[in-house]
Formats: sequence, structure tokens, C-alpha cells
Amino acid sequence: MHLIQRMKVWKELRQLEQRAREEPSPSTFVDLGQVYINLEMHDKAQRVAEDGLALFPRSTELRQLGDCAQRGRRRQQSKEVRARLTRAPNPKLYRELAQLYVELGDAASLHSLCQEWTVRYPDDAGAWLAIGQARLLNFYRDLAAREGQEAVRCLERAVQMDGREPQAHKLLAELFYRIGAVHSAQVHLSALQELQPDDAELQGLLDHVAMLEDHGDDVRALLGEVEQSGRLVHQALAGAGTQPGQEASVARVREGLAGVAELAGVRKATFIKGSRALVKGAIRDGRDPFLRIVRVIAKSAHRFARRLDIGSASKTVVDGDFGHICVCVYGDALAGAQCDRGADLEAVMAELQEIVAGALHIVGGEHG
Amino acid sequence: MSKIQDTVHELHRLPGVKGAALITNDGLVVASSLDERFQGDVIAGLTSYLLMTTQRCLTEGGVGRATQYVLTATHGKTLIVGLEDSSLVIVLDQFADLAQARSEAQEAAQRIRRASRIS
Repeated sequence: MHLIQRMKVWKELRQLEQRAREEPSPSTFVDLGQVYINLEMHDKAQRVAEDGLALFPRSTELRQLGDCAQRGRRRQQSKEVRARLTRAPNPKLYRELAQLYVELGDAASLHSLCQEWTVRYPDDAGAWLAIGQARLLNFYRDLAAREGQEAVRCLERAVQMDGREPQAHKLLAELFYRIGAVHSAQVHLSALQELQPDDAELQGLLDHVAMLEDHGDDVRALLGEVEQSGRLVHQALAGAGTQPGQEASVARVREGLAGVAELAGVRKATFIKGSRALVKGAIRDGRDPFLRIVRVIAKSAHRFARRLDIGSASKTVVDGDFGHICVCVYGDALAGAQCDRGADLEAVMAELQEIVAGALHIVGGEHG
Repeated sequence: MSKIQDTVHELHRLPGVKGAALITNDGLVVASSLDERFQGDVIAGLTSYLLMTTQRCLTEGGVGRATQYVLTATHGKTLIVGLEDSSLVIVLDQFADLAQARSEAQEAAQRIRRASRIS
């Protein structure tokens, strides 16, 4: 690109940035992100998508922009890792590149990489694990028995080569659990527990699996049944064993919200995690604008603090004629409250902090 | 103008204050006094984004306008006081006393308002 072209592009970028700031809409953000993608500035495109999603969390175009930017970043990263690997090969770089190919869904590159990997490091189980992981993704996507069998073959080979590889045990446990081979899943969960004795979640999963009916250990037949019926016997293992913890957390959050709403001057309070929201006080329903306000304040504060290099934003208070809006963030959990002037802000913030800190078990994928 | 600069400079000298700046609503720096690690135009751009985004969603939600903004992060705090067409931004370290900073910021905002009217 010569100088005049470059200047034109930068001028267009400035105009689009100004438009996105002054007239924010999904399309203005997408236009801006698209220019960054064309310039191969995928980091910036992803930031544009994140900023847009903070304002328009339901926009499909912005999600697509984010996905596209992320894929672009991974492609760039894979080229860089490939170059480093060519200069100085080592198992860690092979693992890193294989992971990028798995995330990109680039099966051809992954297979050729794993062939090279096994030739160079025949005792390393990593190549088998990576191929098993890719096959497993295909199986969960298409429910094709053949992919499942290949995944099991590769992952069992990885376990044979390195019995201390927790990821292979974990993936096999999950696969067996989901197709109904409960006893086989228990074997791998127990092996995993021996490798990671401090993992409290594992015990929960083992207890959960122990209560289920076993459909046998003929994996080939079970995979065939899944292909025929078009559905898995059990849902994902993640969160399955934490159900009691999750229920207790939700109960704690409800109690916490009730506590906040009872404080003098508090008009409404909410807890948000993912797409799930719990509310208390003068809030109509899940479409109440206050929920969006809390999300936007948290997201913009997070971005501000990160760019200013002062760490992660944990507490934000916005004052105005309306009183105060307080927002507390911990990980991906948010709690917010709107209160009148004169309310005890310290007490409100302390309660909100308690709520988000105690909400670790809550899964955010459901509507509350 | 020098009175505004002096006010900003005085804020920067307070304990725990890493920098202060007066910025216009569209993200231009009017006056600033900041530690070396911070850049005035970056703070101005970020503050403008933060305020615009927040104001917009508050207005759309029928809540009203924000006049003050306090952000606490892992390694620092930020206090933003809205003036008419501008905002006073104060960056503090994580140990700074927010109550004291709020009162100093309000006094400084008054001085800036008076100075703007005179000039």
C-alpha cells in the first residue's frame, strides 16, 4: 500500500471511529471493525466488536465481527508460531500450534503438524491428544460415530503413552459420560482425581456420575446409538457435579439481593452473570433498562481501567440527579444497585461485593 | 487559563494523586498534570469514551445525566467530575482516600468553573 492509499485509509478510519462514537449502532461498529480486519489489525477489530457488544449485547453482526477478528488473530498467531517452530522446534511450540489449529478447525494443517510432531518426538503424547481433541469436537458437532471412535482411539493412545496427562483422561471421561458409559467415565475421573487430588469439583463430579445408570462399556455400540438417535445420553459434564453448589450460590445471591434492597434508600438491585439476571426492587422484568445500564457501566469501566493500566475495575459508582448507581464486578459476575442520594454507599458496596464474591458456582448460560 | 492549569497542578500534588486533567467532552486536553506513565491524550480519549457510553445508556434508560464517576480498580482509582462542557479527571493510587479526593475534586471543580467564567 503506497503512502496516499495509506493516508486515505487512515482518514476513513478516523471518520468511522468518530461515527461509532457519535452515532453508535451495530452497523457503525461493524464498518469500523471491517476496515481494521482488512488492514489485518485483528486486535483492534476485536476491541471494536467488544465495545459494540457492550452497547448492543444482542447484535448478531457484532458477534460475527468478534468471531471473525478472533479467527484472524489466531491465523496470525499460527503463522508466527509456525515460523518459530521452523527455526527452533520443541514440543511446547508443537502443542501451542496444534491448539491454534484445533481452535481454527483447520484439520488438514493439524494432521500434517501432528505427523511431523510424532516423527520428531515419537514419545510425546501431545500429537495424539491434539488429534483426539479435534475428532472429539467433530463428534460433538455432527454426532458421527466414526469421529467418536477415532477420538477414543487417539485419546486412549495418549493415555497409554503418558498416563499422567490429565486432559486426555478428562476428555475421555466426558465422552464416556455423555454417551452413557458411566463406569468407563468413572475410571477416568478416578484417574484424574489421583492426578489432581486438590480439585474439589472432581469429587462432586464423581458423586454425580455414581448416581447414574450405566449403559454398558461397548463404546462402539453406544456411539452408534448416539448417531442413530441424534442425541447424547447426558448433557455436558461441566457444572453437572456442581449443581448443589450452584443452587446454594443462587440462594445466597437471592438473599444478598434482598439484603441490599432492604438498605435505606436502595430502589433496585440486580445480579447478572452471562445471560442470567436476578433482580430485586423496582425492576419490571429482564428487559428493564437498569440491567443494560449495569452491564454497560461494568464493561466500559473494565475497558477504561485495562487501557489505563490500573488493573481490573472492581467497583464503580456513578452519581447524578437520580442518586447513585453502584456496580461491583468479580470475574464475570456483576451486581448493581440504584439508590437515592444520602444512602449509605459503603454499606451498599459491601453487600454487592459479598454477592459477587459468593457467586462463583453460578453458571451464566440460563435466564433467571 | 493559568488558573485552571494551577488548579490541576495542585490536585496532582495531593497525596495519592497520580495525575489530574481537565478534558473537553469530545476528548481534548485543556490542562493536565500527570505522572510520566500517563499520557494526557490517552486519558482524554478513554474518559470521553467512558462518559459518552455511560451518558448514552443512562439517557436511553430514562435515568438522567451523570455528574460524577468513581472507578476502583486493582491498582488504582479514578474520579471524574462533570463540569458543563468538560470533565475533571483525577487518577489516584489504590490506597488513596476517596472521600478526601472527592471533596478536593469538588473544590477544584468550583475553582475551574469560576476561572472559566472569568476567562
